[in-house]
Amino acid sequence: MNVIRKLDYGLMKLEEYILSYSIIIIAVMVVGNVLSRSIFGSSWSFANEVSQMAVIIATFIGISYAARKGRHISMSAFFDLAPYPIRKGLAIFIPAVTAVILFILAYYSYGYFLSVHGTGRVTTSMQMPVYMMAIFLPIGFTLGGIQFLRNMWINIKEKDVYLAQDKKDYS
Amino acid sequence: MVATMLTVMIVLLALGFPMMIPMLAASVVVILFFMPNVDPIFLVQQMMEGISSYVLLAVPLFIFAADIMSTGKTSKRLLDFVGSFVGHVRGGYAITTAAACTLFGSISGSTQATVVAIGKPMRKRLLSVGYKDSSAIALIINASDVALLIPPSIGMIIYALAAPNVSVGDLFIAGIGPGVLIFLMFAIYSYIHAKIFNIPLGEKMSWRDRGKTTVRALFPLGFPVIIVGGIYFGYFSPTEAAGISVLYALILEVLIFRSIKVFDIPKIALSTGLVTAAVFILVAAGQAFSWLISYARIPRLLTETVIPADPTALQVLLIVAIFFFIGCMFVDPIVVILILTPIFYPVAVQAGVDPVHLGVVITFQAALGSATPPFGVDIFTASAVFNKSYLDVIRGTPPYIIMLLIASVLIILFEDISLFLLRFM
Amino acid sequence: STEGDNGASGGETYDWRFVVEETEGQVQYEYAQEFAELLNEKTDGQVNIDVYDFGSLGSEVDQVEGVQQGMFEMGIISPGFTGGLVAEGQVFSLQFLFPDDQEVTQEILNTSEALNTHLVELYEAQNLKPLAFMSEGAMQWTGNRELRTPDDFNGFKMRTQSSPLMLETYGAYGADPSPLSWSELYVSLDRGVVDGQENPIFFIEDASFHEVQDHMTISNHNTYVAMVTINPGIYNDLPEDIRTALDETVEEMRDRGFEIQDQLNEELLDSIVNDTDNPTEVIELTEEERAEFRELQLPIRDFFRDEIIGDEGREMFDLLLEEIAEHE
Ligand code: NA
Ligand code: NA
Repeated sequence: MNVIRKLDYGLMKLEEYILSYSIIIIAVMVVGNVLSRSIFGSSWSFANEVSQMAVIIATFIGISYAARKGRHISMSAFFDLAPYPIRKGLAIFIPAVTAVILFILAYYSYGYFLSVHGTGRVTTSMQMPVYMMAIFLPIGFTLGGIQFLRNMWINIKEKDVYLAQDKKDYS
Repeated sequence: MVATMLTVMIVLLALGFPMMIPMLAASVVVILFFMPNVDPIFLVQQMMEGISSYVLLAVPLFIFAADIMSTGKTSKRLLDFVGSFVGHVRGGYAITTAAACTLFGSISGSTQATVVAIGKPMRKRLLSVGYKDSSAIALIINASDVALLIPPSIGMIIYALAAPNVSVGDLFIAGIGPGVLIFLMFAIYSYIHAKIFNIPLGEKMSWRDRGKTTVRALFPLGFPVIIVGGIYFGYFSPTEAAGISVLYALILEVLIFRSIKVFDIPKIALSTGLVTAAVFILVAAGQAFSWLISYARIPRLLTETVIPADPTALQVLLIVAIFFFIGCMFVDPIVVILILTPIFYPVAVQAGVDPVHLGVVITFQAALGSATPPFGVDIFTASAVFNKSYLDVIRGTPPYIIMLLIASVLIILFEDISLFLLRFM
Repeated sequence: STEGDNGASGGETYDWRFVVEETEGQVQYEYAQEFAELLNEKTDGQVNIDVYDFGSLGSEVDQVEGVQQGMFEMGIISPGFTGGLVAEGQVFSLQFLFPDDQEVTQEILNTSEALNTHLVELYEAQNLKPLAFMSEGAMQWTGNRELRTPDDFNGFKMRTQSSPLMLETYGAYGADPSPLSWSELYVSLDRGVVDGQENPIFFIEDASFHEVQDHMTISNHNTYVAMVTINPGIYNDLPEDIRTALDETVEEMRDRGFEIQDQLNEELLDSIVNDTDNPTEVIELTEEERAEFRELQLPIRDFFRDEIIGDEGREMFDLLLEEIAEHE
């Protein structure tokens, strides 16, 4: 159990690191390109592709991190008004179904990864294989699915209603 | 198929699933049961595509800049400066917010970026002077959406491509009238709202004090100067301006005010990253969903059943308004403009609608729809950026939706609201 | 895909999706519509084609994948968007390679063995079958200053793709190739973030770029080529009569395709010249001026041959050079 907890903590730190540096990289690329073009008269041909890759990584790795923090956007009118037993039921049902959908998407995106790996398509300017971007989709969906399973499990285990592993519902 | 799709979406939405799931689950179900020849890997391909748009980069960058400025001193100094001039005016802060959103939106060209860059600092101040959070957020979302109408509007550029023989320049000019109209409506509403809810007035500041706040805000005021000047004089594009605003915010906070240490930057970036991820996964899901409905030809089927034979200009404009409004409640406005314009354009022109006026109506309805529940993308952005529940975000929007509906009726009925400026050219 | 009433080739009907990279009123869309009508006529209504214009179906690259996977039976694809898939397709990006005369260029596109056999095979290996190479018109330069000699490109910020080949191509003139999103191009040209761009005339007019550019150079520096493609699996499974009708349609549409682009480009050139609200100085390069540019592009051919393409590609390219020489 302790090992799993440590592993999870390590994973969370890794997610934080990835999210944070993705944003910093996007800023460096966009600013660097402007400065290089206006000062030295030459654009960074790679800037756009690097930024795009950072956005893709942040978005898909972010599925899991936002799930931990209970920051996925939802329309919770019915949930908020429902009496405890229904709310408790939904707090188990919603993350369970969400996890299933995410695992299905993980499977599809693995298929997409294999497909672009097969064609060997490369990006325009850096000539980087596209599968290097696509690989973050199955990883992101799988980690996200696991996180929602944990959100389900804590609601089975504990008496209170949890919106996420790290976020109790106080309403 | 349409019925199944809508049922899945609405049920999951109502139960309170994370917003990405209703769109994605409906897409998965439709592909599995109704589209044997579509390989489901296309859903994920389109998700990747949806967030690969270059213009979207402005969103995380403006969030980042706003995070840096509100962690440090820039935001506060700018707001003190604004407050020293408008704090004693009834509805002054709200009107300033509306003006700032409209202006910034017109510069950045992105409604989401405006929600972040102006909304984040202004909301705090609106709360502190006594506004309810729901009214503050509603004002920010709706004022930001007017940005889609004022040049350089991306919506209009996209419309011009889809519509033959329409000049982007003419569209830009035609958008000004309706933009001003809506701003005036919001300003008057802000005044009345402040009166009814008795928002306390600040003390009128002396010119001496105003001088002080101005001096303290000198460096922060460089922010709008650099952004506007940089774009106007061609140093960078609107999206690149978002990057430059990060650079300027860092220079101010790290080097000049020394309120942020270099080691704090990754922590601020993490909070930006979290918000970005929560919004972008929805943009991605939205693209997958809209790919599916256009592959299934659903927009065309719907429009063909609705357009009567030999319609009048007014009929066409009303149908256009309704379709774009509803479409943009679910799908990104740019995508809606690309799908629907080619369908409506020939019908409208035949019925005698001015193509430029049609572009204004379409862009306006797209702006209106994207601020409207359930899937209006600016609502997502506000929910993520302000860390407020979805319901809290939409609670205050009804008065604005009513005002915008009135505005759209006026714009549809009186084409001169958009075309009068062109007549002087 | 195919929806058959019965197994026999006689009465079977086909509902196809034909995706293009442009919208109504532009070359690819008009071509595809006429193609659909002609094939429908030839097959007595057995083949029904629904044309999907550029919209919400993702990027051009996504559309390529759509044809590869058979979700779209047919598609018009610019080789420029397949550069990451078939590097040899970038041959159409080489400037001053094909003859100046657009009709001769079309003749080469129609008959070249290098293209119609060798290049087609390279695409077929990627599950795409080009049926024809069509011209969408010559590419022209627009700028905020006059572009007449290579010197005019010195320090000129040219909006273009940032592929290694394009970097070399515009680098040869001393220009700075600047990648920029299409949706920001109008405003960026207006404000001078970039100084100019390249496109066929019909596209320049449609996107209103002439409104924010003072100069246009009829440079004919290369031809915008697109490929009419079909998913190979679908093509190979067609019964004899349908396939013959399809092949005939492709043949008959060759001249029509040329006429469509010729007419559109001519009409819209007039429209740019006559737009007195947004005056645009249009110049046409003389033979001598073109020769100066061509000279600088010769090393780029070697770069393409040595650095970009593989052995099969080199065989194709050498043959193409011979074929072009024969036409001049
Ligand atoms: Na146009
Ligand atoms: Na001009």
